[in-house]
Amino acid sequence: MIDVINYFNLRVKTMKKTLLALLITAGATQANAMSYEFDVTLKGYDGSATSSVAYSGQIARHALHNSLKKVVSQGDQAKMLNYLSGKEEGRAIIDPASKEGFAIKQSQVDELSKGKDLLSSAYDGVITGWPGNPTAQELLQQLVELAANSKQGYDPVNGYDYTQLISKFAMGAVFYNKAVNHYLEEKLEADQHPNNEAYKEGVPYTGKEHVWDEAFGYFGAPAHGLELSPKEVVQITKQNPEYFAKADANDDGVVDLKSEMAFAHAYYAASIDASSDTTYFHTIMQAFVDGRQLISDADGERLTDEQRGELKGYAATIATAWQQVIAEAAFKYAGSVYADLEKIAIIEDAQGDVSKAFRDYVKHWGELKGFALSLEAAGRDLGSAQSGLDRLIGFSPVLFGDMQVVALDGQGGFVQTNAGIMQEYKLNMIKVQNLLAQHFDLKAKLKDKTGGMSAVLEQINAAGKSAEND
Amino acid sequence: MLENIVVWLGDELAFAGSSLLDTSKRVSVWYLVSALLFAGALLTVRYGRNGWHRLQPYLSWRVWFHYSARTDYKLWLVNRLLLALLIPKALTQAVWISWLYFYWQEHGFRDLQLGWSTSVVMVLFTLCYFLIDDFSRFFVHWCMHKSPWLWAFHQVHHSAKVLTPFTVFRTHPVEGLLFFLRSMVSQSFVISVFLVAFPNQVSLWQIYGVLVTTFLFNVLGANLRHSGVALSYGPLIEKWLISPAQHQIHHSVARHHYDRNFGVMLAVWDRLFGSWHAGHDDQAIRFGTQQAIDDMGVLGQWLQPFKDVHQLLRDRIKHGRMWLKPFGLKKRPARLDREGRS
Ligand SMILES: [Zn+2]
Ligand SMILES: [Zn+2]
Repeated sequence: MIDVINYFNLRVKTMKKTLLALLITAGATQANAMSYEFDVTLKGYDGSATSSVAYSGQIARHALHNSLKKVVSQGDQAKMLNYLSGKEEGRAIIDPASKEGFAIKQSQVDELSKGKDLLSSAYDGVITGWPGNPTAQELLQQLVELAANSKQGYDPVNGYDYTQLISKFAMGAVFYNKAVNHYLEEKLEADQHPNNEAYKEGVPYTGKEHVWDEAFGYFGAPAHGLELSPKEVVQITKQNPEYFAKADANDDGVVDLKSEMAFAHAYYAASIDASSDTTYFHTIMQAFVDGRQLISDADGERLTDEQRGELKGYAATIATAWQQVIAEAAFKYAGSVYADLEKIAIIEDAQGDVSKAFRDYVKHWGELKGFALSLEAAGRDLGSAQSGLDRLIGFSPVLFGDMQVVALDGQGGFVQTNAGIMQEYKLNMIKVQNLLAQHFDLKAKLKDKTGGMSAVLEQINAAGKSAEND
Repeated sequence: MLENIVVWLGDELAFAGSSLLDTSKRVSVWYLVSALLFAGALLTVRYGRNGWHRLQPYLSWRVWFHYSARTDYKLWLVNRLLLALLIPKALTQAVWISWLYFYWQEHGFRDLQLGWSTSVVMVLFTLCYFLIDDFSRFFVHWCMHKSPWLWAFHQVHHSAKVLTPFTVFRTHPVEGLLFFLRSMVSQSFVISVFLVAFPNQVSLWQIYGVLVTTFLFNVLGANLRHSGVALSYGPLIEKWLISPAQHQIHHSVARHHYDRNFGVMLAVWDRLFGSWHAGHDDQAIRFGTQQAIDDMGVLGQWLQPFKDVHQLLRDRIKHGRMWLKPFGLKKRPARLDREGRS
């Protein structure tokens, strides 16, 4: 008997070893696809470039967005417009900027790409979640104007934190929209930028290579993202000097924004993964790398329908996970809004000073709203979820005196009415979290204020409703 | 428009058909067969080879193709369609539970912080969920017999002259709606309370996507309840669990069987309410209400209840009588009314 057990243990050990060896070889064969680096495949290219990867225009827009976020809280409208819709030369990169222990290679937007702006790339469809149903482009302009008239981006009267609203919404309306609604959608069709032609005269990359790169650029991940843990990605965005070596992949002593920095939704994906057991960042990153590898493997030939079908599979993986990242972020901030309201109630009971808690409430609401609006800024059909989110979150947080923004007046000012009790707005946050968790099939669910309701609902619904008696 | 309706009809019917293979549905083939095996085994132990003869009603084509059984099938399909339209889409479980969950917390009920393991919470939650579900079924069913207004609709279920597993679907849509609301209210209550008391720990103990108790109930012959196979669990077990024979007594035309055994799984509710009655393997029972509705088709099953309600209303206006019959009446109220009139 003991012999049998020993034999069995031995077998298990050998099996483990074989498995391990297999995994290692599998990793080794994929090693060349770990980084987002690909050679030139374009037929007839006789230039000197060895890399076919190019997405500096997208990185320039990331730098514009990061900088815009900084200037909104300074309240200078001309500066804001400079980074939102300006295209002129000489704009400094305000963020990410070099700092002690974390040197950045570029300090001017022009060093990344010239003549780029955010606004013209923003979604041109209607945003139902904001009074007056503006397009995303109109809304961004409107928010900048309002920010200029506020106290450093803060409007306590209507409960708006423009820094948060503009930043979170711009990420969705520009980056997410462009990538998911444009490059990973219509641009993958056969008649668009074929792979057997240069993207345009004189460039070292094919049409499809560049389309894919532009989508990747908008995601905002460093090219060596697959070698990084989510936590490392987060710390790179925060420019933590301890993680400088992790960021500086080519060891040249500076972080190149074009390939070594983490921006926008790549940062949010990683930060969600770092706080839970999800793998959004690596899922999206891997799909980008695999899709790009597929295009490279076509070796400058036109993609077959089958290849494009496979590519669309990767695109769908990216689009779904990207949408989930935004929804996870909205979920988390709905939890923060809930917690802020609880704090406000406690301070009010103790007759303390609520201004600090109210400031947090407005900030978190701005983040929630910005992410929620992002979901509807990419032309994807959200079904009933869209009207649900619009209605539950409303046009503003519920303010003291139980007021809430409900419309715009003729002059573009906000109209408030009595909207029900401020503390009952917490119930809306529970519903928002439920709706997001169910509709987008969320996994991380950070700051869950529902006690894990959506998982139970899923179980109950799977069992089906019984209308039967006996 | 018409196209959409045809597609919808097709989808709904296909969905109904898929119930036959779905382990979360009682009439899935698996449970239909498991009931047969369970009863066959039990009866063989009790009666040897003759035991199998007792299964004859379960396998008889004359039962399955009886006029009454055919009405069951039709009601199953058309009620599905009707309920899909009647059940309000906006009033989802999530809305109810969210509201209750919020309400409890606003009234000071908080996380109990007992530090119990998730598996303990799961077992406790599953137990409470089952108890509340089973009791609420019992209670609504009890009300259906005690109130003449509700009985008018519930008589559809009792008008079956032969019982087949599909008789479980032989209900009036109004009753279907009431039972839908019952499950909504009872589930929302127990789920919301547990979510507050044990946040992020609540889950149901399920097997193949169904509650463990429902699974056992189905595997162990739930389908025999609506069949001609009299299977008693014996006097001891029947005090705790309702046997197929006991539910058949509930369907009996015999006067001394009226208003007995309302329970679904547990027999304790019937004992508490004084409506418990033992079953027997040798009981010979005729099923039905012995009213005209027993011989009616789908349309009659739908309309007769409304006619009866109308009649009741006219009587009530005339005599100004009470809503509920006094307790302890051994007769079904509707019949009493008819007899009272004649
Ligand atoms: Zn029955
Ligand atoms: Zn009954």
